[in-house]
Amino acid sequence: MSDNGVILDVRSISKHFGALKAVDKVNFQVKKGEIVGLIGPNGAGKTTITNLVTGELRKTEGEVHFKGINVSNMQPFQIARIGLTRTYQVVKPLQGMTVEENILVGSLFGRSDRENDLNSARKTTHHIMELVGLEKKKDSKVSDVTLPDLKRMEFARVLAMDPEVIFLDEVMAGLNPSEVEESMELVKNIRAEKQLTIVYIEHIMKAVMGISDRIIVLHHGQKICEGSPTEVCDNPAVIEAYLGKKYAKEVISG
Amino acid sequence: MGLGLQMFVNALLLGGLYALMGIGFSLQWGISGIINLSYGAMVLLGSYLSLIIFNMFHIDPFISMFVTGAILFLLGAFIYRFTLQPLLKGGIVFTLIVTFAIRLIIENIILLVWSADYRTIRVSYAGSNFQFLGAFVPLTKFLTFIIAGVIIYLTYQFMMNTKIGKGIQAVALDKEGAMAVGVDDQKMYLINFALGTALGGVTGTLWATIYSFSPHVMDVIIGRVFIIAILGGLGNIWGAAAGGLLLAFVETSGAIFIGSHWQEAIGLVIMVLVLLLRPHGLIGKKFFG
Amino acid sequence: MIAQNDRKLNINIILIVAALIIFILLPNYISGYYTRIFTAIFMYATIAQCINLMSGYMGYLPFGHVMFFGIGAYISAILMKTGLPVFVAIPAACFCAIVISIILGFPVLRLRGHYFAIATIGMNGAIMTVVQNATEITGGARGTTFPIITVPPAVVYKYFYLAMFGLMVITSLVMNMIVNSKFGFGIRSIKANEDAANSMGINTTFTKVSTWAIAAMFTSIAGGLYGYWMSFIAPDEVFDLMFITNSIIMMLIGGAGTILGPIFGAFIVETVSEVAWSGFMQYHLAALGIATIIIVFFIPRGLIGTITDKMRNRRIKLSKKTEVTNV
Repeated sequence: MSDNGVILDVRSISKHFGALKAVDKVNFQVKKGEIVGLIGPNGAGKTTITNLVTGELRKTEGEVHFKGINVSNMQPFQIARIGLTRTYQVVKPLQGMTVEENILVGSLFGRSDRENDLNSARKTTHHIMELVGLEKKKDSKVSDVTLPDLKRMEFARVLAMDPEVIFLDEVMAGLNPSEVEESMELVKNIRAEKQLTIVYIEHIMKAVMGISDRIIVLHHGQKICEGSPTEVCDNPAVIEAYLGKKYAKEVISG
Repeated sequence: MGLGLQMFVNALLLGGLYALMGIGFSLQWGISGIINLSYGAMVLLGSYLSLIIFNMFHIDPFISMFVTGAILFLLGAFIYRFTLQPLLKGGIVFTLIVTFAIRLIIENIILLVWSADYRTIRVSYAGSNFQFLGAFVPLTKFLTFIIAGVIIYLTYQFMMNTKIGKGIQAVALDKEGAMAVGVDDQKMYLINFALGTALGGVTGTLWATIYSFSPHVMDVIIGRVFIIAILGGLGNIWGAAAGGLLLAFVETSGAIFIGSHWQEAIGLVIMVLVLLLRPHGLIGKKFFG
Repeated sequence: MIAQNDRKLNINIILIVAALIIFILLPNYISGYYTRIFTAIFMYATIAQCINLMSGYMGYLPFGHVMFFGIGAYISAILMKTGLPVFVAIPAACFCAIVISIILGFPVLRLRGHYFAIATIGMNGAIMTVVQNATEITGGARGTTFPIITVPPAVVYKYFYLAMFGLMVITSLVMNMIVNSKFGFGIRSIKANEDAANSMGINTTFTKVSTWAIAAMFTSIAGGLYGYWMSFIAPDEVFDLMFITNSIIMMLIGGAGTILGPIFGAFIVETVSEVAWSGFMQYHLAALGIATIIIVFFIPRGLIGTITDKMRNRRIKLSKKTEVTNV
C-alpha cells in the first residue's frame, strides 16, 4: 500500500477513438474508505474511465496503480481478483442462470487469494443475499426478475467478490425515487459494514451530493473540477458545463 | 506473357461468377444474420430449374434466369418467413441446423428427380469463342461475366436508391434506430434474405451454362461462398465482389504455382487468417462500401 | 429434506449401475448388426457430449470440431502402422489432438458466435487438405488402413462395443463433474455473458482453451477407436462435417446444456435414421431434415431440457404454495 492511504491512483489516462478524445489526461486519486463521486453530463467520459480503470478498454496513454500495483496492462479478471471491481450502467446479468447462481459466480471467482470451494462460496452467497434482501428471489431465473432486483443482484454479485474498491456505474438509472432512496441506504449501510471504497458514477448531481466525501467533475473527457460537494456546486465551470454559458452567468451575477 | 494473360482472363471470368455467388450469401449472413447452409442447394436448384426449362421449352438459360431468379426469390421468402424468422431468438445453433435441414430436403428432392449424375445444359453456341489480345475467351463464360457484373451493379443500385434498399441498409446499420423511424425490420430481413436466394439461383443458372453440375457441387459452392463472404466483409456488396475476384485469382494462380491439390486449402487458410486478423473483411466495416 | 435428497441420490446410483450392467452384458445376447448400431450410438453420444460442453454450456459452436476426430483416427493409424500397440497409439494421438487444440484455440477462441463456428470449419478443411496431400505419411486422398485384427469378427465387434461404451460413460461422467464444479460455473458464465464473466474474475481465455482441449481429447479418442473399428479410413470420411451436424442434431433433440441429453439424442437419432435407411431409403435425407425442423420448433429445449424445466416449474409452484399456507 502506498502512502497517505491512497488506494487507487489514476495517472494521466487518455482514450482516443480516432480523432475523438473520449478521455483526455485525467488524473485522480482515491483514498481507502472514501466515497468519491464521479459526475459529468452525458458523454463526459465517465463510463469510459471506468472501463479504462477496470481493464475492459485499452488505454491510449497513462497508468493506473491499485494498492501500489501497476494494473495498467492487466486483464479485467486479474484486476477483479486483486479487489477492484465494478457494476454496469446497463445491467449485465448472467443470462440463463438463477439469481443465486449469479451471485455464486461472483463469490467463486472474485478473489484468487481466497479458499473458494463451492460449499464456502454457497455460504457467502447466502449471507449476501440476506444482506441485500434477495433470498426470496434466489431460485428465479434472471429473465424473470424486475430491474430494481437486477440492480440489487448486480450489487450483491460485486459484494460477493469481496472487493476493496467498487465503481458503481449509474446504479440509480432506471429506478424511481423511492427505489433510489432504498438503494442509497443499502449502499451506505453495506459500505460501513464492509469498509468499502466506492467510486460513484452519476450524471444526476443531486444523487451523489448526499453521500460523497469528494466529487470529481468531468466534461468533454477532461477533469474540470475536484473538491467537496459544496465547493463543486459553487464552481462556475461546473455550472456552465451542466447548464450552459448563459444560465451560468445569470447564476453567478446573482 | 501469353500464359500470364490467359491465366488473368480465366481468373477474371471465373471471378465474376464467384462474385455474384458470394454476394447473395454475404447479404443473407451480414444483414439477415443467417448463415445459410442451404445456399449451395439453392444455387443448384437454380441450375436444375433452368435445365428443366431448357429441356421442356428450349428456352435459353440466359433468358430463363429471370424465371429461376423469381422462383428462388419466392422460395427464399417462404423459407425465411416460416422456418427462420420464428427461430431468430434461439441463436445460431438453431438457424444453422435448420438451414442444414433445408439443404438435406432440397438435396433429397434433387436426388429423387435428377439422380446423382452430372448434368449439363448445352446451348447451341456453347463451343463458340473469340480471341482477346491473344487470350482465348469462351463466349458463354464471357456472357456470364458480363451478366454477373450487370446484376451486381443493379443490386447495388437497388440497395442505394430504392426505398426498400434504403430500409434494408438502415436495419443493417442500426436496427433499433430504423425501427424507431418506422422501418419494418422483419420485412426488410425477409426481402434481403429472398434477394440473396434469388442471386444464388441466378448464379446457378449461369453456372449451368459453363460447368456440369450434380448434387456434389453443393459442398464446393458452400465452401467457396464462406471464403468470399469473409474476405469481403459480411453484407458488403463490393466487398463480396472483390472477395470473389480475389478467390478466383488465388485459386487460378495457386493451381498453377502450387498445385491444384492445394487449391482448396489455400482459400481456407486465407479465410481463417482474415478472420483472425481483419474480422471485418479486407475492405472494411462499412456496408455497401 | 436431507433424507429425501439422499434417497434420490441412492435411486440414481442404482439406476446408473443397473444400466451399466445391462449394457455391458447386452452384446452377448444381440446380433452383430445391433452390436454395431449400439457402438455407433456410443460414439455419437461421445462426440455430442463434447459439442454440448462447447456449445450447450459455453456457447461456442465448434462446427469444425470433427478435425479432432480425424486427427485422432489418422495419428492412431500412422502410429499403429509403425508397430505400436493400440493402447499406446490412441493415447498418443489424443495427446497430439490436445496440443493442436491448444495451439489453435488461443487465436480462434478470440472469435465469437458465427465467426468462431466458421473459422473452425476453415481449419478443418485446411487440415483435411494437408492429410489428403501428405501422401507418404497418410496415404493421401485414397485413405489408409489399420493393422488387421486376428480375432473372429464377432469378438472384435464386442470389443469395440465395450470400448466405445466405456468411452461414452467416462466422457459423460467427466462432463458431469466439470459442469458441476467451480470450473463449470466459469464455462456457463462465458455463455451467459463473456464480458461480465471476465470482469467478475473469470480467466475467460484459459477457461475457453481448456474446455476446447477437453472436448478435443474425448473426440480424438472416439476418432482413434472409430478408425481401428472400421480398419480403413479416408480423409473425406473422418473429416466429414456430417459427424458434427449429426451430433448437433442429437444434442438439440436430447437437450443442450444437460448431461443426459446428448446420450438420449444419440439413441433417438441413430435409431430413427436406421429405420429411415431400411424403410424408405430414398427419402431418408428429407426425413432427417423434416424431423430436425419439427424438433427445433416443438421442443427447442430438447427432451431432457423440457422435462427438467417442467420439474423445476412444479417445484417453484409447490414452494409458493407452502409459503402461502405457512402465512
